[in-house]
Amino acid sequence: MSESVPIVLRVNGEEHRLLVEPRRLLSDVLREDCGLTGTHVGCEHGVCGACTVLFDGRPARSCLLYAVQAQGHEVTTIEAVAAEGRLSAVQQALHEAHGLQCGFCTPGIVITMEAWLAENPNPSEAEIREALSGNLCRCTGYHNIVAAIAKAAARRAGSAA
Amino acid sequence: MSGAADKGIGAPLPRKEDYRFLTGQGRYLDDVAVPGALHAHFVRSPHAHARIVGIDVAAARKAPGVVAVVTGRELAEWTTPLRMAPPIEGLQPVEMATLPTDKVRFVGDPVACIVARDRYLAEDAAELVEVAYEPLTPVPDVARALAPGAPLVDETLASNLVSHQAFTAGDPARRFAEAAAVVEASFHQHRQTHAPIETRGCCAVWDAGRAHLTLHIGSQVPHPLRTTLARRLRLAESQVTVISPDIGGGFGQKIALYREELTVAALARALKRPVRWREDRGENLLAASHAREDSARTRVAVDRDGRILALELEIVEDFGAYCFYPANYLARVVAMILTGPYRVSDYAFSVKVALTNKCGNGPMRAPMAITSWIMEGTIEAIARRLGLDPVEVRRTNMLRASELPYAMPTGEVLEDVTPRETLEHALAAFDLAGFRARQREDRARGIHRGLGICCVVESTTYGSAFYKAAGIAGSGHEAGWVKIEPSGAVNASVGLMASGQGYETAFAQVVGDVLSVDPGAVRIHLGNTDTAPYGMGSRGARGGTAGGSVLFLAAQALRDKVLAIAAALLGLNSSGELRLAEAKVQRRLGGEWTETGLSLADIAHVAYLDPLRLPQGMEPGLEAHKAYDPPPMTYSNATHLCEAVVDVRTGGVRLARYLVVEDCGTVLNQQIVTGQQHGAIAMGIGGVLLEEVVYDEDGQNRSGSFADYLLATAVEIPPIEVISRHTPNRRTPTGSKGMAEGGVMGAIGAVMSAVNDALAPFGVVAERQPLTPPYIRSLLRGKV
Ligand code: FES
Ligand code: FES
Repeated sequence: MSESVPIVLRVNGEEHRLLVEPRRLLSDVLREDCGLTGTHVGCEHGVCGACTVLFDGRPARSCLLYAVQAQGHEVTTIEAVAAEGRLSAVQQALHEAHGLQCGFCTPGIVITMEAWLAENPNPSEAEIREALSGNLCRCTGYHNIVAAIAKAAARRAGSAA
Repeated sequence: MSGAADKGIGAPLPRKEDYRFLTGQGRYLDDVAVPGALHAHFVRSPHAHARIVGIDVAAARKAPGVVAVVTGRELAEWTTPLRMAPPIEGLQPVEMATLPTDKVRFVGDPVACIVARDRYLAEDAAELVEVAYEPLTPVPDVARALAPGAPLVDETLASNLVSHQAFTAGDPARRFAEAAAVVEASFHQHRQTHAPIETRGCCAVWDAGRAHLTLHIGSQVPHPLRTTLARRLRLAESQVTVISPDIGGGFGQKIALYREELTVAALARALKRPVRWREDRGENLLAASHAREDSARTRVAVDRDGRILALELEIVEDFGAYCFYPANYLARVVAMILTGPYRVSDYAFSVKVALTNKCGNGPMRAPMAITSWIMEGTIEAIARRLGLDPVEVRRTNMLRASELPYAMPTGEVLEDVTPRETLEHALAAFDLAGFRARQREDRARGIHRGLGICCVVESTTYGSAFYKAAGIAGSGHEAGWVKIEPSGAVNASVGLMASGQGYETAFAQVVGDVLSVDPGAVRIHLGNTDTAPYGMGSRGARGGTAGGSVLFLAAQALRDKVLAIAAALLGLNSSGELRLAEAKVQRRLGGEWTETGLSLADIAHVAYLDPLRLPQGMEPGLEAHKAYDPPPMTYSNATHLCEAVVDVRTGGVRLARYLVVEDCGTVLNQQIVTGQQHGAIAMGIGGVLLEEVVYDEDGQNRSGSFADYLLATAVEIPPIEVISRHTPNRRTPTGSKGMAEGGVMGAIGAVMSAVNDALAPFGVVAERQPLTPPYIRSLLRGKV
């Protein structure tokens, strides 16, 4: 056991003053200390993507980071995505296209794909599949997720125009 | 059906449960906050097979934050062993301690449990537990398990052959003597595991004041789990509540009461403090539950046209080290339904199940996954041998509509299926002729395409009569209740538990349809054994038919009561000319439906709060409880077509197209059904191409992370075209048949068939899974 250290975490625009052991994973601290349980843990070794959060605006696996490493950075979790109660383009499209079943992989997919679409507004199906390949889903076979992302992209393009 | 037709049975409604999942507000086991809960962590065997000489926990007990360290010795006092001894011929009775004290039987076998203030501290302390082992010779595979003089995995048995059944119908020996040809084929399916993205876990809370245990656990079968848990803790069933929160995928892995979960529950009671446990991914892959790994051989007697005269099946399953289920359960179903859509009267099977030093097997989405591959692969072997078109051999042997209902040689009755229709429709939709032309041209250019076909008859909803006939312990019934509350709000519950199937939406559609209320206003309550009725839970493909039907029946009973009350209030002698529409009571007058001014809420108010106005003798309230035992078996059917491209230099396989034509009866929500079809097909494809639990010669497991146990990503899974050709089942209340596992069966068969079609010019046949590049190259060595 190592000594706990005080840290300040900025999550979803809010400051959390915490006392954490340096070995504790960001995923655990978000879930247990900040009470943000929408970030899920599926493997703890960086493969499944369920724990994806935004780290200074870019997708990152919170199971591969220590909480202490997040000091001075801006962390965004799924809880901030539909903060005003309105679903994001990706969330809304996943709902309409039945792109989720058990929902366990879903927050990681929403976070990953919202960020990706912002930089890739006009993706082909193959590009969507490639971008999605870092998120494992055991339920859906991906078909409807891919369809949803395409739909979300089209909608974002439409509303931007 | 009346009422909200566009939202009723069959409407492709987006799901009610989505909002919470999309916004991170799902509540999975680890999200259930229990103040003061301690964390459990298990010490596991590094050996495949070893005698436990001693366990020294003294140092671990003194480690920081540790509250308790226990072994099988304490658990033997607190719990009873699991005895698996249903009266089934050829099945050996076995017994399993809660934690082993004599020997370990596979890598990952739990031998001690640490309880500490948090999970990090519990894992630290695990390092301090000293277990002295005396290694024994491991039994790493079936061949060695069944060899004479093999070391025994379970020393109470005479051999590792834990189950063996044989069966004969008709006179196969005679048919073989008469045959124009005898064709043999073999099939090997490798070991896999369910790998839900949420691993196993639980949280046990013992209320010492009330002497009551609450177990929070993602369980597909809350009530059967409660029965087992109470028995093994020597508690009354009334002292135990099982609450299943949202489940992050089950696929059959979250059915049994595992040893870890029982240990955690026993510890909470002994320590009088809440204890929680969450396994990590490595533990899930190594030690939760495995599946499949079976080898089959068929021999088939045919006439000159490829007509099947007799069929023999031998199947051997590697069941691993422990029996959480009767060992015959999985492989037996394969043998029972093997013949599927084909006409076979003379049939014999032998089903053997062996114990080995591996993680124990359990049902995984399509426990009978290998069935369609075996049958379709046998048909293709016939075609190859006789130089016939494999589609023609299928047509020759496939049952016609006029032959239904058809008693399979095992006595199972196949009815209300449409295998020919789905086959012909699929071939037309795919453009078989166009494909063959493309295949020929491409072959000349060194591109090897193959078309795979797999005709699936999926056993979906198991009634009690099937279990009995198949020699499997269990009931097939399901239970449900529907209540209209005094305000008119509708609550309903069923014994199933969802892990992604969208029951909260589909069942609200069923209840809403019958009561003519918007499904958005029907709340389905799942997973709490104090609220839900005792049902058999979610397994197989029974949700829609067992669960949907029982709620349909309960809602109908309630509707009848509502209309009877309405008739009394309107001063009518009967409710024959009354109906519910949009939550209001209508009356037929002169052929026209007209409003009566009574709403469902008015009736509910009277039923609960003004009961003296009820018809004489009627009890107050509006609730209906029903139980439903489905027919012995319902069957769905489908034809899967898959186009694969094999790179003969690298051995790589790419799927270029996937199409399925399905008939799964009346569907409750087509969008959900299509999603289930996609997911099942993807699981089948990933299983054939990528996933593999690998044990080496010493019984070490080499697939303990997602870097080794490969799940398919969006790149490997092709788009999946689903075409529905549903026809109702005439024996179930809604006409539903059930579905959700056949996609796995079809994908396994279709991908194997496609790759073999592509490899045909080289005169080789793939008989093993997974279809890895090295395996395919080994087949082609010296031929390319
Ligand atoms: S939990 Fe972080 S990638 Fe799987
Ligand atoms: S919806 Fe279950 S893992 Fe993706």
